[in-house]
Amino acid sequence: MNTTNLTTDPLASIRAKLSACIQCGTCTGSCPNDFAMDVTPRYLWRQVLAGETRKIFLSQTFLMCSSCYCCTLRCPRGLPLTEAMSNLKQIGVQLGFTTKTPTALFYRQFLESVRRHGRVHEMEMMSGWFWAVKNPMLPLKFSSLGLKLMSKGKISLLGPSGNRINLSNLFRKVTELENQA
Amino acid sequence: MSHATGHILVVGAGIGGMRTAMDLAETGHAVTLVEHAPHVGGLLASLDHQFPTNHCGMCRMLPRLDRDQSVQACLRKGLTHERIHIRTDTDIMAIDGDTGNLTVTLRQKSGYVDARRCMGCGACADVCPVDIPDPFNAGLSTRKAIHSPLPHAWPALYQIDGTACTRCGECRTVCPTNAIVLPAGEKSHFRVLVVDDEAIVRESIRDWLREEEGFHVDVADSGPAGLSLLTNAPYHLMLLDIKMPGMDGVDVLRQASTLSPDTQVIMMTAFATVETAVEAMKIGAMDYLIKPFEPDALIPKVMQVYDRVAAMTDQTIQVQAVILNAGTTLYDPSSGKNNLGYQTHPGVVTSLEFERIISNSGPFAGKLVRPKDDRPVQRLAWLQCVGSRDFQSDGDFCSSVCCMISIKEAVLAREKYGPNLDAAIYYMDMRTYDKSFQRYRDAAERDHGIRFVRGRVHTMIIDPETQDLVIRYADRSGDMQESIVDMAVLAIGQRPARAMPKLADMCHLPLNSWGFAETQPFSLTRTAKPGIFLGGSFTGLKDIRETVILSSAAGLNASRALQSGVTKPVTDALPAPRTRDVSRELPAIRILICTCHQALQIDTDLLSRRLRPCPSLLGIDIVTAICTPEGSEAIGRILNASDFNRLLVAACPQEMHSGIRRDLAQMTGLDRNLIDCVDIHTPIFRKGLTEHPDIHAEMAHILDMGIHRLAGANPLASELTPIHHHALVVGGGVAGMTAALALADHGVPVDLVEKNATLGGNLCWIQETLQGDKIPPFRAELEQKISKHPNITLYTQTTVAGFSGQTGGFVTTLEGPEKKVTTSRHGAVILATGGMETPVQGYGYGQSPAILTQKELEEQIATHALNIGDPGSVVMIQCAGTREEPRNYCSRVCCATSLKQAMMLKSQNPELAVYILYRDMMTYGFTEHLYTRARKAGVVFIAYDPEAKPTVMVDGNDVRVRVMEPVLNRVLEIQADRVILAAGMIPSPNTDICGIFGIKPDPDGFYQEADIKWRPVESTREGVFVCGIGLSPGTISESIATAEAAAQKALALLFRPEILRSRTTARVRHSLCSLCQLCISACPYGARQMESDLNRIVIDPLMCQGCGACAAICPNDAAVMDEWLPQHMFGVIDAALA
Repeated sequence: MNTTNLTTDPLASIRAKLSACIQCGTCTGSCPNDFAMDVTPRYLWRQVLAGETRKIFLSQTFLMCSSCYCCTLRCPRGLPLTEAMSNLKQIGVQLGFTTKTPTALFYRQFLESVRRHGRVHEMEMMSGWFWAVKNPMLPLKFSSLGLKLMSKGKISLLGPSGNRINLSNLFRKVTELENQA
Repeated sequence: MSHATGHILVVGAGIGGMRTAMDLAETGHAVTLVEHAPHVGGLLASLDHQFPTNHCGMCRMLPRLDRDQSVQACLRKGLTHERIHIRTDTDIMAIDGDTGNLTVTLRQKSGYVDARRCMGCGACADVCPVDIPDPFNAGLSTRKAIHSPLPHAWPALYQIDGTACTRCGECRTVCPTNAIVLPAGEKSHFRVLVVDDEAIVRESIRDWLREEEGFHVDVADSGPAGLSLLTNAPYHLMLLDIKMPGMDGVDVLRQASTLSPDTQVIMMTAFATVETAVEAMKIGAMDYLIKPFEPDALIPKVMQVYDRVAAMTDQTIQVQAVILNAGTTLYDPSSGKNNLGYQTHPGVVTSLEFERIISNSGPFAGKLVRPKDDRPVQRLAWLQCVGSRDFQSDGDFCSSVCCMISIKEAVLAREKYGPNLDAAIYYMDMRTYDKSFQRYRDAAERDHGIRFVRGRVHTMIIDPETQDLVIRYADRSGDMQESIVDMAVLAIGQRPARAMPKLADMCHLPLNSWGFAETQPFSLTRTAKPGIFLGGSFTGLKDIRETVILSSAAGLNASRALQSGVTKPVTDALPAPRTRDVSRELPAIRILICTCHQALQIDTDLLSRRLRPCPSLLGIDIVTAICTPEGSEAIGRILNASDFNRLLVAACPQEMHSGIRRDLAQMTGLDRNLIDCVDIHTPIFRKGLTEHPDIHAEMAHILDMGIHRLAGANPLASELTPIHHHALVVGGGVAGMTAALALADHGVPVDLVEKNATLGGNLCWIQETLQGDKIPPFRAELEQKISKHPNITLYTQTTVAGFSGQTGGFVTTLEGPEKKVTTSRHGAVILATGGMETPVQGYGYGQSPAILTQKELEEQIATHALNIGDPGSVVMIQCAGTREEPRNYCSRVCCATSLKQAMMLKSQNPELAVYILYRDMMTYGFTEHLYTRARKAGVVFIAYDPEAKPTVMVDGNDVRVRVMEPVLNRVLEIQADRVILAAGMIPSPNTDICGIFGIKPDPDGFYQEADIKWRPVESTREGVFVCGIGLSPGTISESIATAEAAAQKALALLFRPEILRSRTTARVRHSLCSLCQLCISACPYGARQMESDLNRIVIDPLMCQGCGACAAICPNDAAVMDEWLPQHMFGVIDAALA
C-alpha cells in the first residue's frame, strides 16, 4: 500500500484545497445524502481545517458521498469538494480507518465483481458483501427488493448476459501505477 | 485671482456625472455632459427612496451658491445649468490627444422628435401600436415605441425607439405641433456591399436592395475582390458569405474590421456553418442569416442598420480633460446557471425590480404583488450575494451596496405594508461598514422586526401545487432549514459599466481581473493617462455617498490638471451684470406669446378681454416660434420699444428651462428677475386643440398668474457678497495636506494649521497600504510639496482658538506656540482634524505585553521587534469594543488591516498560525479578494456572536483565547503568542472643534455632514467643509478622496471675488420681530442666528436657500421671503383660483 504522502499530516493536501472555505453551508444545503450523514459536509470541512483527523475517520459522512457533484457545482468559492470527499475515502482506506465498515466492504465487493467480469454481477456482489459484513440479518433486509428485481428480469442468478471480460490485468496495472505515484 | 478654467467632458450623467458636472460648472468651467441613455439620473432615476432618510434627496445636490445659474427643481426630472451642455443619447466614439488638448468624437442618436416642438402631450403614444418593455420599470411594464423615457421628466420630451418603431406614421398624423420626423434620409446614399461566390445569391440580393429599396449596392464574387472595393470606398453594410473558395468570410471579416471598422457586417451562412457565424459575431459581425433566406428575413436587418446610420450624427469637440463617470451595471441573475430561478419562477425578482414594484409610480401602482401571477405577497426573503462573493459567477469581490439596499427595502416594505409582512434577509456577513450603517441595521432588526438569517441559499425550489417558493439552507449549527415565501428578492451585485471595454481601450486604461478600471496608487480618481480621470462608481462597487465624494474628487483633479498655465480661460468667471435701473419706474409689462409654428391660433383682442384688468399690462405680442433664429429676430423688432420694464414669455415648458431669460435679459438690458416664463402650451395641447372648450380663457388664466408675479418682482439688482480669497485648513494629516495642496494649486492662499510639531498624522505609523504601496516615501513627498508650495503657510503647534463671521468672510484666531495669537480672515474652511485608534478596554489589554492593538503591532512589525516563537500563533480579535453601544459603528479599516497584518506575518513565517475572530468580515469591494487570499494562505477565520465574545485569559506569560466555534459548536481554546485587538477608530478628541466652528457632531463625535448621501463633505455650516477620518473612518485613499472633494466644494466659494446673492432669500422686518427665535430652529440650513450685540436676528444670505420655513413659522410676519411677499402671492393665488 502506498503511504508516501501520508508521512506527516494525512490531511495536508485536502486542507490546501479547502482553505478558501467561508463556511457558508451551501455544500450542506445542496447535499442529497445529507439525511444519512452523521455530521454535515460543512462540519466535516471545518474538521479538516481544524486537523481533527481521528474524528473525521470515525464519521461516516464522506463514505455517504455519492459523487453527485452538487456541492462542487454550487460552492461559491469554487472548491473541489467532491474530489476532497473521494480523497478522504482513499486516505481512510490507506490508513486502515475504514477497511471494516460496511460501506468500504461494499466498495471492495463492487470492484471485485467488476474485476472478474468487466461489469457488475449483482448477485455475486451482494452475496459477497453479506458474507464480508457478517451480519446474518442483512440479507433479509434486501430480500424483498431482490425478489422484485428478479421478477422484472433486472437481475439474474447467472449474472449479466452479454460479453464478459476479465479485467485483472487492468486492475494490476492500476495498482502498479498507484504504487509508483 | 481666479484659477484657469476650461472645457471638460464628463461621460455619464448618473448622479456621479451630475455631481462632477455641477461641481466643475460651479467653479467656472464649461462642461459637456454626455449620456448614453435618453435621460439623466442613471440608475437613481428609477429609485424613489434612499436610506438613512428613506426619502429621495437628489435635489440636495443642487448648487447652493449662485443658485440662479441652474433651475432649482427636482433633479430626477432633469438638470439645467448655464455652464453645462447636456447631450443625451450620445456615445463616445474616440478620444485622442493629451491633457489640455483632447479631441473627442461624439455620436448622437436621433429620437426622431424635434425637442423644440414636442409639448409632451402624449397624443402620439396614445395611437402608437407598438408595445416594448419599459426599462424605467426594470422591464416589468411596457411602453410605446414613442414614449417619454422618464414618466416624471419635465419637460416631458417624447422620442421614438428606432429599432421598435414600425414606421406606421400614426403618430405623425396626431402630433399637434408636427414635431415628429420619421427617419427618411437619402436611401441611395446608404452603401451596401454583397460578397458571395454564388452569382444567384449576389444578384438576387442586389435586386432586392437596389430595385425594391433603393439602396446603393455593389457586389463582389470573392473575399479579395470585396476587400479591394472596401479599400476604395466606405460601405455602411457588408453582407458576407462564410464559405467561399480561397479566402473565407471570417478572414474577410477580420481584415475588414481593421480596414473599415465602421462597416457593419451581416454573415450569410449555410446551416452547417452556423457555429462559425456565431464565432464571427464574437469578432465583430453584427448578425447572421441562414441560407436560403427570403427578402422578408433580410430587409428588416438591413433597415435596422440603415436607420441607425441615418439617425446618427458625429461631431468632434475639443476639451481639456475627460472624466469617465459611466457608473456600473448590475449582475444579471438569469445568466449562467440561474439556480435561483430568476425569470422562470414567479416571485423571484431583483432588488431593482422590487424597488419598482413597491413604488407608487411603478407597474403595480405600489401594490405588492408577484409580477408574473399577480399574487399578493405576505412572506418576503432577500437573498444576499447574488453575483457577488461567488467564484461561480466570476465575482470574487463584494459589491458593497447590496446589504444596505436589502435592509432599506425590507424596512420600506414593512413600513408600507404593515407588520404582518414577514421580511427576512439571508446573508453571510452583513456589511454595514460605512457611517450610520450599523445603527440603521440595528434599528431595522429592533424597531422594524426584520429577521436577519445567517445562511447562504443556493437554489430556489418551487412548490408545484401552491406555487410557493421554498428556500432551503443550512443554519449555523448545520441543521437544514426550510422556509416558504411568496417572493424572493435577489440582492444583485455590480458589474463593470457596459461602456467600460470601449472606453478603457480608447483611454488605454488598465483593468483589474473583473474588468473594472484601475487608478493610480493613493488615488481613487487619477489614471496613468494624463487628462483622463475616473469618477463615481466607474471604478466599481460604490454607494451613493462614495459616488458623490469620488465624483467631486475627480472634478477637482481634472480642474487641477488645467492649472499648469497652458490653457487659457474660456468661460467668463463672473458675467458682469449690466442692467437698466428700473427701480423708480412703475411696473410696465409686455407679454410675448409663442404660437409654436402657428399650431395655436390666437386672437389677441379676445385674449386681452379675457385677461383681468391690470394697469401694468402694456400689450401682447405674438411670435411664431420663439426658439428659432427667426423668432429671435421677431423678438428683437418687437422689443425695440423700450416702454416696458418687465417681460412675460408665454411658451412651452422647454423655454422655462432654456436660456431664454438670460438671452432676453441681454437683449433688453433688464435684470433677469424681471423676465418670467409661463407654460401655456402644456395645458392646452394636453387637452387637445380641437376638444379644448376655450383656449383663450385657459391662456388668460395662466397669464394672469404670471402678470401678478412679475408685477411684484423686486426691481433692485441682486446684491454681491464679497468672498475673501484665502482658505484655512485645520489638520496636517493626509486629508489636511491633500486639501491644502489642492486649493493652493488652484491659486488660493492657504493657512495649514497642525497642532503637533510635525505633519503626517496617522501616516506616521502606517507602513504600507493593503495594495502594498509604501507609506513613508509617500508621506515625505507630501510634506515636501507642502513646505515648498508658495501658496501654503504652515502653522505647526498651532490650534484654532476662535472663529466668527459669515460665509465668505470668516474671522479666525489661531493660537501658536507660546500662546502667540494671530487673527486672519478666511473665505472658506476645511476641517481635517483626523482620528486615532480607540483606546482599548478589556480583553486583557495591559495585563500582558503579548496583548497589542493593531497600531502597536504595525509598529512592532516595522521595527522588527516582534519575536514570536516557532511555531507561534497570533489571535486577532475584530470589533474589540466597536459595533455596539456606545460606539455602535464600524471603523471600516480594521478588518482589512487585520488581513494585511496577517499576510505580512504569514509572509515572514508561513508556519505561523494566525486566527482571526470576527463578527462580520467587512471586506467590502475588492478587499474581498484579499480575504480569499488570506484564507488560502491558511489564516483561520472564526465567527463569533456579540452575545458570546471571545475571552482572553492571562496567566503570567501564558495567554489563551477561548472562543465558541459555531460550525463545530465547540469552545476552542487557543494558546496565543500574541493577541491583537482591532479596536477601531475615534475622532481626534483633543479639542472641541465642532463647538469652535459652530457645526454639529454626529452621535459618535465625527463631523455631521449637511446630508450624509448627497452633501457628504459639507458641514452643517455653509463655507465650512469636512474631510478625512474626522468625517468618518476610512482608508488612506478614501481620506484623500474626501479631502479632494472638500477642496472642490471650497473652490466653488473661493474662485471669484464676490458672489451674486440669490434673489429668493429670507429677510427680517426688524420692526415686527419679537425675537422669539422660532425661525432659528425652523431654519433647516442654519442660516439664521441671534446676534446678541445688535439684539437682532441675522441671516447669512449665502446659507439661506429660500425654502420659506421661517416665513411660515413666524407669528408676526416679520420673516419674509423676498420675491414671495404675501401681497403678490395672494394676487397669484387669486388669479389661479379665478
